[in-house]
Amino acid sequence: MRIESIAQFASLQEESRRRAADRRQQIMVCCGTGCLASGSKKVAEAFAEEVAKRGLDASVGMFVKTTGCHGFCERGPLVALLPSGILYTKVKPSNVGQIIDKTVLGGEVIPSLTYKNPADGQRISAYAEIPFYKHQLRVAMRNIGRIDPTDIRDAIAEGAYSGLAKALGEMTPEAVIEEVAIAGQRGRGGAGFNTARKWRSCRRAPGDRRFVLCNGDEGDPGAFKDRSIMEGDPHSVLEGMVIGAWAVGAHEGFIYVRDEYPLAVVHLTIAMEQARSYGLLGDNIMGSGFDFDIRISRGGGAFVCGESSALMRSLEGKIGEPRAKYVHSTDKGLFDLPTVLNNVETWAGIGAIIERGGAWFASMGTERSKGTKAFSLVGKVKNTGLIELPMGTTLRRIIFDIGGGILGDRPFKAVQTGGPSGGCVPEALLDLPVDYERLTEAGSMMGSGGMIVMDDRTCMVDVARYFLKFLTEESCGKCVPCREGLQQLLHIFDRLVEGRGRPDDIPAIERLSRGMQLGSLCELGKSAPNPVLSTLRYFRSEYEAHIFGKSCPAGICRELTAYEIVPDLCDGCHACFKACPVNAITGTIKELHRIHHDACISCGACFDVCPTAAIRTFPKVELKTEVV
Amino acid sequence: MPTLTVNGKKVTVGEDAVILDAARCAGVHVPTLCQFDGLEPWGGCRLCVVDMWQQGWDENWFKMVTACNHPVAEGMRVFTSSERVLETRRVVLDLLLARCPETPLIQRIAAEHGISETSYEVNPTPTDCILCGLCTRVCDHIGVSAIASVNRGWGREIAPPFHQAPPDCIGCLACAEICPTRCIPYSEAAGSRRIWDKDFEMLRDPVTGETVITKAQAEHFARRSGVPQGYFATSDGSKRRVMATTFTKLKVVG
Amino acid sequence: MTEQPCVDLVKAEAILGKYPPAEPSLIQVLQDVQRAYNYLPCDVLVKVAETLGVPLAHVFSVSTFYKAFALDPQGDTIIKVCTGTACHIRGAGQLVEELTRTLGIGPDQTTGDLKFTVKTVNCVGACAMAPVMIVGDKYWGNAKPARMTKYLGKGKGGDDEN
Repeated sequence: MRIESIAQFASLQEESRRRAADRRQQIMVCCGTGCLASGSKKVAEAFAEEVAKRGLDASVGMFVKTTGCHGFCERGPLVALLPSGILYTKVKPSNVGQIIDKTVLGGEVIPSLTYKNPADGQRISAYAEIPFYKHQLRVAMRNIGRIDPTDIRDAIAEGAYSGLAKALGEMTPEAVIEEVAIAGQRGRGGAGFNTARKWRSCRRAPGDRRFVLCNGDEGDPGAFKDRSIMEGDPHSVLEGMVIGAWAVGAHEGFIYVRDEYPLAVVHLTIAMEQARSYGLLGDNIMGSGFDFDIRISRGGGAFVCGESSALMRSLEGKIGEPRAKYVHSTDKGLFDLPTVLNNVETWAGIGAIIERGGAWFASMGTERSKGTKAFSLVGKVKNTGLIELPMGTTLRRIIFDIGGGILGDRPFKAVQTGGPSGGCVPEALLDLPVDYERLTEAGSMMGSGGMIVMDDRTCMVDVARYFLKFLTEESCGKCVPCREGLQQLLHIFDRLVEGRGRPDDIPAIERLSRGMQLGSLCELGKSAPNPVLSTLRYFRSEYEAHIFGKSCPAGICRELTAYEIVPDLCDGCHACFKACPVNAITGTIKELHRIHHDACISCGACFDVCPTAAIRTFPKVELKTEVV
Repeated sequence: MPTLTVNGKKVTVGEDAVILDAARCAGVHVPTLCQFDGLEPWGGCRLCVVDMWQQGWDENWFKMVTACNHPVAEGMRVFTSSERVLETRRVVLDLLLARCPETPLIQRIAAEHGISETSYEVNPTPTDCILCGLCTRVCDHIGVSAIASVNRGWGREIAPPFHQAPPDCIGCLACAEICPTRCIPYSEAAGSRRIWDKDFEMLRDPVTGETVITKAQAEHFARRSGVPQGYFATSDGSKRRVMATTFTKLKVVG
Repeated sequence: MTEQPCVDLVKAEAILGKYPPAEPSLIQVLQDVQRAYNYLPCDVLVKVAETLGVPLAHVFSVSTFYKAFALDPQGDTIIKVCTGTACHIRGAGQLVEELTRTLGIGPDQTTGDLKFTVKTVNCVGACAMAPVMIVGDKYWGNAKPARMTKYLGKGKGGDDEN
């Protein structure tokens, strides 16, 4: 049924909320990509089957729904229950009957399925009490995990499109921009450009035809917040784009989704079809007379297409070559027409900003970084997953209070933020409040929100090399400093990790980095030296160890590292033998095992599995002095 | 008509001018590789970088931009040889010299900037191609688009589709002649021209018999312009002779 | 480029019929062609160039620029090892090595019997499950080299338990 007026939308909201209320017992199974990989689809099917078989939907209003990513992927499959607010972790299909009987019907908690706090061993059953969720403030991700993304009425019951109703019903386009200006929202894709300022520039640009675009090309390795939003609450993106289109006078929009996110394309497509059928997208939206429709465009597998001008070339069917920055896309963007491009998370926040007001948004965060930010906390941290917090939260709180500290309680070494354009922040800066300016001052960057936690078993030279390798494959190749510079930096780092570093390598790295920062055409090349320079700034001694000591302090670089089993600690459990991919370990069960250096490839598989920490690393150069 | 300074020298240039135009006006040389008058600027080689200050900025705040495509503005101050500009150019040339160690043009410009050998790892398969894109840009400009850039990043190269004789090529030699390092080979013999592994029949001047143009190119121009193909198959010498004869038949009036 | 067999253009024509015949459709058309033929055959690219009115050189340029496209026939099952940062530090490299040991091919290579192609891919956004391997359509999180035969054997479908 098409909504033909704001009043009709209000009725639809009411009706959707009544329907939600009738679902007196909700069983919400997370089916984001992470939990799907842990088998949540079978869990959801088992619940649905059981409920149907026993007629519990009709008798007690029990309802099973699949939702988007709850964020706590480490503990998946996750099942959340309403109204009790209980969260169960690592749920298997075999737990389904028990959960229905004991918890949903019986009101009792099943301790073995609850979250166990690694800090004190306590079991926590309430979703809102789990440290991972307790400290969060979800705005962009407000409905993810609460709604079935393929059911628009579920989204509407939770507030979707109410911001749009307010914008179209009560506000002029200029008033909308003003509200976003009051909110102080800055782009959530990495650059942090003021959203209202961008919209204003576009609105003022001459011409009838303009576009609003959504950048769903989340290319930063380690970031997956945009995937979650597109999969788990596509309506938040659509709503934001309609509001933005209204504000700048655009009638056409595109959502550019990277090739690696097929489920996001599916959910966005379903959401758009449903929105159109309800008159919330397409012609005469909510009876306002405003027309706006969106098309989805899939990326071709190119990180550089996350750069706004390259993205637009890709939409035009061309190779993803960025354009000179002197031309602003708000004047000449897609097809050389005025264009607003914003990130998925930016769009997702707009509906809430309009509904609750810019002042509400600005009341959170720091002076220059307002609101909340989504982060993907991954790497060597216990609670890996997606979180959203007010800007200004410290790194320490994120990594230790919410993240639960380092995996295996190993020492914290650094957290990498901002992807290939960012840098590593060391332990000394753990009390840094996270906002755009503070991260940049520290030599890193907000970027997309990826936070990769590293422990003492991470080699910072290897990390820098990793990002260089990534970028050499992603550079479009147009400009000399980036194309040639990245290749030459990689050559230097290949030598460093193999123990063939030279005394003048560090000055050479610094000189080339400066040339790339100043000379490159786009941000890919300009910011490519950041991981290198930041690791050099905080971990220079590691570089020097590689160059002058021919050793890797973290014990990671294979050419520089040898492994051996410490006799006193080995209990002969045979785990290393099984883990070794090249049969370089000999030993019988319960007897001392031995690593044979001539066969060992220093991959570290044995180190990772040894339960008694009986394996140690030492510099390979010392091997040559041993009598074998 | 904006007025700006280049290295302190004041010049006034047209509304649509770029910094390179202003530099030329001021008699200041800015090195370029991928720039060519008549083609849209590309900004790929980064050799023409300059430091630029604009009105409204903090006195000590400069931006490094490419002269070939950055628009001028009233009151702009341009500096073409600041230390960081020269150093950036040196890094660009140093990198190019590693890629093209045996290319005379690069060796010369690098030497002019004080670099006699590269400080980087030399390309194991040296090439003369500096990936300036001039060949593909002129080919697009002519409306043929027979060749294009292939792959991305360091493996990027200029090639015809499928690395085979390009079906759309008309053998006009624009790519070969615009190439600053002359790295596109071609040959002519016995009334035939060969470029990009493709052979082209040459048309001969009806009077002198010299080869003038490929048949494909004459057809392309005829199609684009509406002028009969025969016009293009006449050598310049023959055209001049025809015009000279025509002029002799003109009467001078009053 | 290897010698290619002649391909049936019917599928290509159906794909082209779905999009406006202009340059902006190019990448979406190539996406569909890649999925339909498992690679981008030369004959199809020529047809695409003609129908969309894009110079063949530009079509080839786009085909080689984007990682999603292959110009040679791919294996029936594509194995993608995520090499995002989280996966890298949690051992993606070891997975690639194990694949090379097991299948005898490296990244961007296809087995002789055209059964498997191995690719390293950019972050797939399942970082909490690092390291991640995708075999066909199936995601395997917390992947371990020791379980490689299980991942390869199950291929498409199979039980979800890790």
